[in-house]
Amino acid sequence: MDKLLLDRIMGQVSKPARYMGNEYNMVEKNPEDVSIRFAFAFPDIYEVGMSHMGMKILYHLLNERADTYCERVFAPWVDMEQKMRQTGIPLFTLETKSPVSDFDLLGFTLQYEMSYTNILNMLDLAGIPLLAEERKEGHPFVIAGGPCAYNAEPLADFLDIIALGEGEELIEELLDLYGDWKQSGESRTAFLERAARIPGIYVPSFYDVSYLEDGRISSVSPNRDGVQPRVSKRIAADMDKTWFPERIIVPFMDIVHDRIMLELFRGCTRGCRFCQAGMIYRPVRERSPERLLELAEKLVQSTGYEEMSLSSLSSSDYSQLELLVRQLMDRFAKKRVSLSLPSLRLDSFEKEYIQEMQKVRKTGLTFAPEAGTQRLRDVINKGVNEEDLINTMTAAFESGYSTVKLYFMIGLPTETEADLRGIADLARKVTDCYSRLQQAGQRKKRLKVTISTSSFVPKPFTPFQWEPQDTMEQLREKQQFLKQALRIRNVEYNWHDPEVSFLEAVFARGDRRLGRVLLSAWKKGAKFDGWSEHFNMAAWMEAFEDNKLSPDFYAHRRREKDELLPWDHIDAGVTKSFLWMELQKALRGETTPDCRLDCAGCGIRRLGRGLC
Amino acid sequence: MRVIIEYTKEERVKFISHLDLMRTMQRAVRRAGIPIAYSQGFNPHPVMAFASALPVGVTSEREYMDIILAEPVSLPVLNERLNHALPRGIAIRDSVVTDDKTPSLMSLIERADYRVAGAEWDWEKAVTAYLNEPEIIVEKKGKRGAVSVNLKESIHAVMADEDDPKVLHISMKTGSKGSLKPEIAVKSMLELSEQHFPGDESFGLPAAVHRTGLYILKDGEWVTPLALKKD
Ligand code: SF4
Repeated sequence: MDKLLLDRIMGQVSKPARYMGNEYNMVEKNPEDVSIRFAFAFPDIYEVGMSHMGMKILYHLLNERADTYCERVFAPWVDMEQKMRQTGIPLFTLETKSPVSDFDLLGFTLQYEMSYTNILNMLDLAGIPLLAEERKEGHPFVIAGGPCAYNAEPLADFLDIIALGEGEELIEELLDLYGDWKQSGESRTAFLERAARIPGIYVPSFYDVSYLEDGRISSVSPNRDGVQPRVSKRIAADMDKTWFPERIIVPFMDIVHDRIMLELFRGCTRGCRFCQAGMIYRPVRERSPERLLELAEKLVQSTGYEEMSLSSLSSSDYSQLELLVRQLMDRFAKKRVSLSLPSLRLDSFEKEYIQEMQKVRKTGLTFAPEAGTQRLRDVINKGVNEEDLINTMTAAFESGYSTVKLYFMIGLPTETEADLRGIADLARKVTDCYSRLQQAGQRKKRLKVTISTSSFVPKPFTPFQWEPQDTMEQLREKQQFLKQALRIRNVEYNWHDPEVSFLEAVFARGDRRLGRVLLSAWKKGAKFDGWSEHFNMAAWMEAFEDNKLSPDFYAHRRREKDELLPWDHIDAGVTKSFLWMELQKALRGETTPDCRLDCAGCGIRRLGRGLC
Repeated sequence: MRVIIEYTKEERVKFISHLDLMRTMQRAVRRAGIPIAYSQGFNPHPVMAFASALPVGVTSEREYMDIILAEPVSLPVLNERLNHALPRGIAIRDSVVTDDKTPSLMSLIERADYRVAGAEWDWEKAVTAYLNEPEIIVEKKGKRGAVSVNLKESIHAVMADEDDPKVLHISMKTGSKGSLKPEIAVKSMLELSEQHFPGDESFGLPAAVHRTGLYILKDGEWVTPLALKKD
């Protein structure tokens, strides 16, 4: 790597610290001293990638190994990419500025579908063949994990290995195996064959997929001996024993989530039917308050962060939340560490917490009723009712809040105009509630209510995996309707163009054939698709056309009960029959209680004794 | 207790912005457990002030900040603890206690010296060309668009290094009217002496810019902020 040239171009691009590394707590090793070099790649910019807790965990975990040096790499922003291509500087890691192509393993984390073109772009910038079958001895193995790995079929052609479920144990086993293989001097295929025997490891090239004439899948089957017909996700059973870093990198730059994120537990028992995370991260496994306090203490000391948040799917469900929050406040308020409690749920958000929170710092209020009527909330199993919502908000207003954000989804299964009107009704009730307090002289400030709607995207491993997504026209009409209906004083309405949601729906439930579309779209310049300034719908539509694949087939088609879905050979714990049953209940408007109270029989217990 | 701290910003962290550096120092102080004073008010923040923002991409061997401590700490202990808590590439060199009434460092600093190293040019020629011009108007990009300034009024002195032909020394004026980036001065001098960029200009100046010091005028003499030490 030409260091001077790199220096010069870094002096010319925006935010060069994105590519600099050398942050506090960055791990430094001599690459010569290790036998395994692992490049951990996040297919988005530094500020986004460094905000991701999973990356921090695995980075520090891998670097605990004496035989491994794990380094980081992010998608260079377009200005940097342009200069890198002009000067011939290949994709490099932050730690040692080494070309990524020199590494043994290159691991991508798949957080959202709209980052897929960035993966292709990064492979290309690294000079690594895009297609797995074109990689030879000496090329890194390209691995992917994260939530989208549960159906990474659209990326099947580009990945050597897909890791399912929680990575802490699995990655260690994979690296042990890699170390042995490297010494053995055997072929790439030999490594993949052995890797495929590790539970949770899925080698897509070891499976053949055939299709029916109408485009549906007819079979997915292993194409060699010793390969499991179905691959189950990995679960870390005991959270107190699961490794968690006590030092994490503290970026110089302002990143999206620049704080300590304390993971109280994994999984969620709410059973919201649209939520993939709620299904794939089952079962719930909590860390003990003692362990959490210990971790918090160490992280505050080793990072100097002034803010801490509780990060779990619904942190307020933590069984000992009150105790934990109180102790955290007691311990850290004097150290001037503020505590923020995001993703609060209406039904457990009590007045007392609001006041506790205010002791340290005032954050905005956000709620996610997701749907406008009780009927639709029952369909999606979002156990929130209007009375609770209004009560909680009254309490919040009384203790000084005057801005509130409400999140909804449009395009949910069975949605009608009445449900949309319900969103506006709810907004009006919130403003009425505030006016009453104002009239009583309790509130002086002006109220600000923000209503945001996102477009529903049906996801694999959810009860709605069989459901069609609304067409873009339908979604736009609904947005128009809401624009009218939400012309209410002090209420602001935000929405997103449905194009991105449409593509998300295509890729979320896509099959292997979409790999060709990804490749074409990338060649036509698609990248950073999650960034509105770069999103290029025309490139995508051309790419579908060129490959004679219809995006509607993936996004807008209702699947039958017995259809073989592209991800059916992946076992995420919850069974297909449970999901189907949940769908039927949804269509009947029946709710399923929180499974902490009453086990719903989701099937996760099959994956291990005593898990749930 | 008010303390002036002298520190370096080295090669490996030269691309962080001034804002990044401020955040880094604040967190280092927290990690080091130094009893810094906090401001009053709704959103209290640690009392810390910086002498002069270093341009992104420039290294420095002598930068300054001052902090107010809520309770006294011995300076060797402060230096050691802070050094331990800083990312590599930023190091505390020295610190002194100053009078609480000392004006802000930013208002006192009047001169910043730089060392520019680039093998491609004849610096003697560049200096001669510069000295021969009575007035040199350059564009300075600011928040509200570009403004024209006279380079000659922004520079105390320029000099080619006596021993090392690769090196140029520039002593820039700093202060309340804002200062010019050394890179602009170098580019302008190269243009005047009809020396050109090798290769693609958009790849940036092929030279390393290093700040060697910041100075205050005290009793007619240039001194570093450490001279503000309380007797
Ligand atoms: S096994 Fe029962 S309790 Fe456990 S996650 Fe599944 S439904 Fe919930």
